[in-house]
Amino acid sequence: MTGAIAEPSRVGEVVEASTASFVAQCYELHQPPPLGSLVRTRAGSIMIYAIVFNARTGSIEPGRRPIARGQEEEEEGDIFKSNPQITKLLRTDFEAVVVGYRDELLHQYLPPAPGHIHSFVHICEKKEVEEFSGRLDFLDIILESKILLGVDELVGASLRYASGAHADPRAFLVEAGRALASSLGGDLHRLNSLLKRLK
Amino acid sequence: MAQVELFACSRLCYTPNHLAAMTLDLFQTVPQIEAMSAELKAERSRHQQQLQEALELLGSALDVQALKRKIETGKTTWLVAGLESGLGERFPLPPTPPDFYVVATDGSHIDIDRHRTASCYLINVGLVALRYGENAQAHLSNLPRLYSSKEEMVLSLPLSGNRSEPLRGELLGVKRGAEECRRLCDLVRQRAEPSPTLALLDGSLILWGLTGGAYPEAVVQELLETGLLACLGELQQLAEKGPLGVGSYISFPGNTEVVNALRVAVCPREPVDCDRCSREGKEKECERMAGLRDRDLFAGLLKPGERSPMFYSRSSIVRRYYGRHEVCFFYLNVEDEIARVEVPRWVVNMGLIDLTHALVYDQCRRGQGYPVVLSEAHEQAVLTGADRERFWEMVEETMVKEGMEIKGSAKSDSKRTRWI
Repeated sequence: MTGAIAEPSRVGEVVEASTASFVAQCYELHQPPPLGSLVRTRAGSIMIYAIVFNARTGSIEPGRRPIARGQEEEEEGDIFKSNPQITKLLRTDFEAVVVGYRDELLHQYLPPAPGHIHSFVHICEKKEVEEFSGRLDFLDIILESKILLGVDELVGASLRYASGAHADPRAFLVEAGRALASSLGGDLHRLNSLLKRLK
Repeated sequence: MAQVELFACSRLCYTPNHLAAMTLDLFQTVPQIEAMSAELKAERSRHQQQLQEALELLGSALDVQALKRKIETGKTTWLVAGLESGLGERFPLPPTPPDFYVVATDGSHIDIDRHRTASCYLINVGLVALRYGENAQAHLSNLPRLYSSKEEMVLSLPLSGNRSEPLRGELLGVKRGAEECRRLCDLVRQRAEPSPTLALLDGSLILWGLTGGAYPEAVVQELLETGLLACLGELQQLAEKGPLGVGSYISFPGNTEVVNALRVAVCPREPVDCDRCSREGKEKECERMAGLRDRDLFAGLLKPGERSPMFYSRSSIVRRYYGRHEVCFFYLNVEDEIARVEVPRWVVNMGLIDLTHALVYDQCRRGQGYPVVLSEAHEQAVLTGADRERFWEMVEETMVKEGMEIKGSAKSDSKRTRWI
């Protein structure tokens, strides 16, 4: 299934940064960019591109856990109406694996420096996604990344998402499948499992 | 023999290696805790009998007017509640408005540390404004302010010539309380709409720390008049523009003023005179209710959501300084406990008690038994041990950057660098 490209917008800002990935806090609770979507952030003169892989919502303080509050409410939304402070005590974060950057040119390898804390994070517009995924070298970065979420899940999600930016999504996915076959060499089992995720 | 005793002592004091870091000797403490527990158990049973008797007295046809007179003319060694109406009436939970605000502040401070180079203190006020109803919203923030100028280190007393009092310890706590109340006024003013509002403070409106002659009268007057009472005056003005309940919330109150009113009721003397009773050394009638607290009494009387009648404080500090802000109070069954809510007199006179009652109860219901607005204000205000350490580190780092020499006391250094 191909995903619709999310509306381009400023979704949050970087709160942890390393060369290979960053964590961003969302401005809106429960509204992270979709899994596999392409986001960008600035680090000085370069634009860093990254793919969203792990969103989570929880308490802003490690010692304060949310408790069930809705037993007497009819709808879930009423819980927030009856307890308006909750929206200020929870936060949604997401992680993104860095897959390239742009200076004068677009590169699909790691940038010379990590993103900056408090840099704004934007969801890329459709044209940018199309341009970025016009090359598939970024797949190797994901395949080699050390992320907690299954790497293959992320590869599948990112390709399904990017396919929505192409005029012929199926042709894009077929091309991506070829690129994966080349990267994974003889690991037919893994390749097979990955290709199933592109349907 | 001496050797045997020495050996016995060293055996008793022996602690296994893994406990070596503990300074509290639990071997000696545990039997004492057990003894205390047995005593508490016996006291509880005596307490039940006392409570039963007090509740019966409360339910009996007490002549309230006569009791009021007896309280006013009596001389007691304990504080007795002033009666507005009766003692045992119960007021049901009033309806909660559909749209309303609840605002609260709480504070925390870092006191002046005379063992540090920099003479300064910091007050951190937590501010919370919650809007309920159609446009439910929340505002949570905190406002730290550092005080370091010479003028800010003392309380100036303009009415006593050029005298001043060092501002630390208890007095700094009082200044912090005034700061909390000032910020509460700001929160009330910042509301988007004049919907019914509850402005809530934590703890007592009666500044007990200033009582008992610990400070000169000029200090008490200055702190109260330019601090808490000035802010309460501002809140009163705001209440004239729209419905505004103002109160201070005390969880698990230890007060005994209403119980003491019952002690006056059972006293056979008229006028009541505790000193005379003590001199004569006879068994006192009122001892039958000694040890009971108001919260025990109202736990046996009030159903969830109900409040007690209104009382007023007859403490000397309130009588002397508070004027139109005279502290009135009621007890409220918030289901998990009996809370005490103190309000200034004008809240009663302006008919704002039902609003205060309804919204305090509603806050406790939403906050698992404690007003949610106060617990969030506390979370915003609290300064942990780590915060305090970090604060002093930053102060010293900044001074070093400016090329200043850091010279704390040897005592402070020895606490930070523990050695054997």
